Amino acid sequence: MSSLRFLPLITAVLTAPLFAAAQNGEQLYTQFCSACHAVDGKGANNGMFPPLAGSSWLQDMPKRAVAIVLFGLHGPIEVNGKSYNLEMPPQGAALTDDQIVSILNYVNSSWGNKGETVPRDLIRVTRSEFAARTEPWTAPELLKLFPLPIQKTVLSDLTSRVYKGQWNQIPDFDKIQAENIEEEHHGKISPSISGMDVHFGIVWEGNFMAPENAEYEFALDSDDGARITLNDQVVCEVKGTGPMNGSRAIQNKITLKEGKNTFRMDYFQGTGLKGLELKWKKSGDKAWNWLSDKPTPVKKESPSIPLSPTDESTAIYRNFIEGTTARGIGFGFPGDLNLVYSADNLAPELVWTGEFMDAGRHWTNRGQGNQPPSGVNVIKLTKDRFLPAEARFKGYSLDSKGNPTFHVSIGKQVLSDSWKPGKEGTLLRTLTLTGGPELNIPLGNATVAGAESATLAPGKPVTLTYLLK
Amino acid sequence: MRYLFLLTATITSAFSQTQSDFYLREEIPLPKDEVMEISSIALMPQEKVAVATRRGDVWICSGAYGDDLSKVTWKKFAFGLHEPLGMYYQKGSLFLTQRPEFSRIQDSNADGTADVFETINSDWGISGDYHEYAFGTSPDKNGDVWITLCLTGSFNARANWRGWVLRITPDGKMIPTCSGIRSPGGIGFNAEGDTFYTDNQGIWNGSSSLKWLKPGSFQGAPVGNGYHKLANLPEPPTPKDGSRILTERTEHPEFIPPAVILPHGKVGQSPTGIQPDLTGGKFGPWKNQVYVGEQTHSQVQRVYLEKVNGLYQGAVFHMLEGFEAGLIPITLDQEKGILFAGGSNRGWASRGSKPFTFERVKWTGKTPFEILTMEAEPDGFTLTFTEPVDEKSAADLASYSMEAWTYIFQSKYGSPEVDQATPVIKATKISADKKSVRLTIEGLVRGHVHHLKVNGLKSKSGQAIWHPNAYYTLNEIPAK
Repeated sequence: MSSLRFLPLITAVLTAPLFAAAQNGEQLYTQFCSACHAVDGKGANNGMFPPLAGSSWLQDMPKRAVAIVLFGLHGPIEVNGKSYNLEMPPQGAALTDDQIVSILNYVNSSWGNKGETVPRDLIRVTRSEFAARTEPWTAPELLKLFPLPIQKTVLSDLTSRVYKGQWNQIPDFDKIQAENIEEEHHGKISPSISGMDVHFGIVWEGNFMAPENAEYEFALDSDDGARITLNDQVVCEVKGTGPMNGSRAIQNKITLKEGKNTFRMDYFQGTGLKGLELKWKKSGDKAWNWLSDKPTPVKKESPSIPLSPTDESTAIYRNFIEGTTARGIGFGFPGDLNLVYSADNLAPELVWTGEFMDAGRHWTNRGQGNQPPSGVNVIKLTKDRFLPAEARFKGYSLDSKGNPTFHVSIGKQVLSDSWKPGKEGTLLRTLTLTGGPELNIPLGNATVAGAESATLAPGKPVTLTYLLK
Repeated sequence: MRYLFLLTATITSAFSQTQSDFYLREEIPLPKDEVMEISSIALMPQEKVAVATRRGDVWICSGAYGDDLSKVTWKKFAFGLHEPLGMYYQKGSLFLTQRPEFSRIQDSNADGTADVFETINSDWGISGDYHEYAFGTSPDKNGDVWITLCLTGSFNARANWRGWVLRITPDGKMIPTCSGIRSPGGIGFNAEGDTFYTDNQGIWNGSSSLKWLKPGSFQGAPVGNGYHKLANLPEPPTPKDGSRILTERTEHPEFIPPAVILPHGKVGQSPTGIQPDLTGGKFGPWKNQVYVGEQTHSQVQRVYLEKVNGLYQGAVFHMLEGFEAGLIPITLDQEKGILFAGGSNRGWASRGSKPFTFERVKWTGKTPFEILTMEAEPDGFTLTFTEPVDEKSAADLASYSMEAWTYIFQSKYGSPEVDQATPVIKATKISADKKSVRLTIEGLVRGHVHHLKVNGLKSKSGQAIWHPNAYYTLNEIPAK
């Protein structure tokens, strides 16, 4: 009897730690989140996946993070200055409120994160607030509901004065009557506060709150002229009029004392584009801190992986190509001539000149979306299927140079459609039909002869010349 | 308290076993400067191995069986294919399941590169969504190839036959065979030649699992149901949202429950390729069991399957780990007992941190102390071990513990573990050969995952068990 009494006790001892541990934030994070966000919160696979350590998406508004965990996140997002385009699966149906709270509070207190403590109730509240939601969030949706915190800069007591006028160089603004004076509480420098596009000037004045006694570096670029003055000493000046493309950018160093240093920025805009970029860092630091809006880089979702034919062979790209169906088969021929055949519509649908295809979109990340041809003069030959429903794509064969012949069965007939480069910017197309009745083939509007269709008789191949250039 | 210390001492005193004692995992060098996100592996004559990549290349590897892997050479055989996820070699040709079609590629002029790309069947739809993956098998005993089609974005069915499994006959006809698919990671056969696929945690899948593709069956996700009309097939069932698998499959007999649940987070997160062990002992003692690849955790799990009341069920055990990237295809050379594994972590992160990998695993000939099989009994389980057990620890009830749970069967993404139960192990009985232990258990729950831990058990030679966790999906409890 005594041994029996012992038994439940042991079971309890053995199982209790299991269940208790199940609510431990670190363990739960490791189990459910670390595959992508990494054990150290920096994003898995050397940051291929978004970091949670130091992420501005975790700052302020804990509901933002709760919403993301519950419903997932889809598509492009920028985290701490780096772009990602992935999928976060929704966890709301997989994890309990207790588990989510444990995970978020672990994340908010790890790797230097100092997020607000997430109250348990917030999970329930957020669940019910968005109960109708069926799809993961997109980043723009989240930003609308939960804007990221505005980061105050080191500029304090900042004011702006806006002037109207036409100048070729920075005038002495102190001798001109300002149109408007404003306080800039966020400490940001932005020419857009003028509300004007041409013929204006702005002077900002305030204090640069240096974090410590040190040497600091400043970098300035502008369209048109601009000048920074610290403690009455000119640090950088972009003189005269001109574009903001790096060619006129100025970088310089100055030693500052910890705390207040008087700051002044003079700026004028003539005609054309306007712009202002100002950043600083302590000498020796790697990362720059922005005082102007950070320039938005030209949005490029994926790196470039251009494909081109070689001396030995055509280039082939079988993927989702813009302007044709999902079963497009692209061929890049030597001489900058290109073709996409649709294995859905059983016909050539696009021809173009210049570069062939960029595989970057489909060969990095998950490969979402259609990729347009890289070249120019894209001609849409046909867009509908003209062969009967019984017609089937039977594949393609390549000659020694990689030139394709596409094969289609139509009942017992076989239609072959061969393409190769011809002379002077042309592609030669040869159509062959076996057995059975004649076929009328739409050709598109790029043949040299100008014919928009051809009648193809069995055993009598037809060769057409397509002029692309 | 004294008891607990004793127990801890027992656990730690048994010296631990490590993978390299039993299995030699080696990276096969890849062609320099090439991105080789391996998506398919096909064994060829003369110890050549063909691999396909997610970027659409096919390469042929010589020397992958050799003792000196630095002598491996590669030849590019084809390019411009559309993400092949399934490839086999037959009579001089490579057959590939590509995203848009099932095809045969050949080198007709014997110059070492493919020049004929024949489309055998392309009668299913693709909408241009990246998630519409198509995974294919090698031929089954009838010569048919099975292809499983992921949903559009893993949520919708926006092109014909998304969410279905198709068979392609040797003469190129398409036979829609099973419905209810969500997001497969691989498809293959068990030792009997029945077809299985792995589906990933998400909608209508509280956890990832290994599922039996019984012809005519419904696999749980009703998203693509409507396509039955295209072939005048009976309408697949519409299960109730927020229910349990057991309830719904009782209501709809064509709903075949997952054979083995691979508990999300505990066993893995993204199961992939499937291979039976027909090596007859060349890859260890796991005769006729099934190996399942795992992308997120970069592992290979081992599954013991049995059939009870006409349904497959069984247990999953951790087995191999530490692969260099997320595994996608695994291929076991059944003659030589060498496992080839490849994969990538593009788009989906993995514990293995390389962007792609190609590896082989050989058995060292040394057998770990492990649960070999776990069979359901009317009132418990019978465990068979790879070695005779230490009678004292095997007889001790405290060497075992069990918990059980299931998942909500719902249209939402995933599920927490629910309906927890704690079956109580009441008695142990050791077989005459000391290799089996019959556990008498009170409180088994039909339909639940039963997680057995055998931490306290030792082999006769004092070895602790290599992988003490078993997860048995008890679809059916055998009759007495």
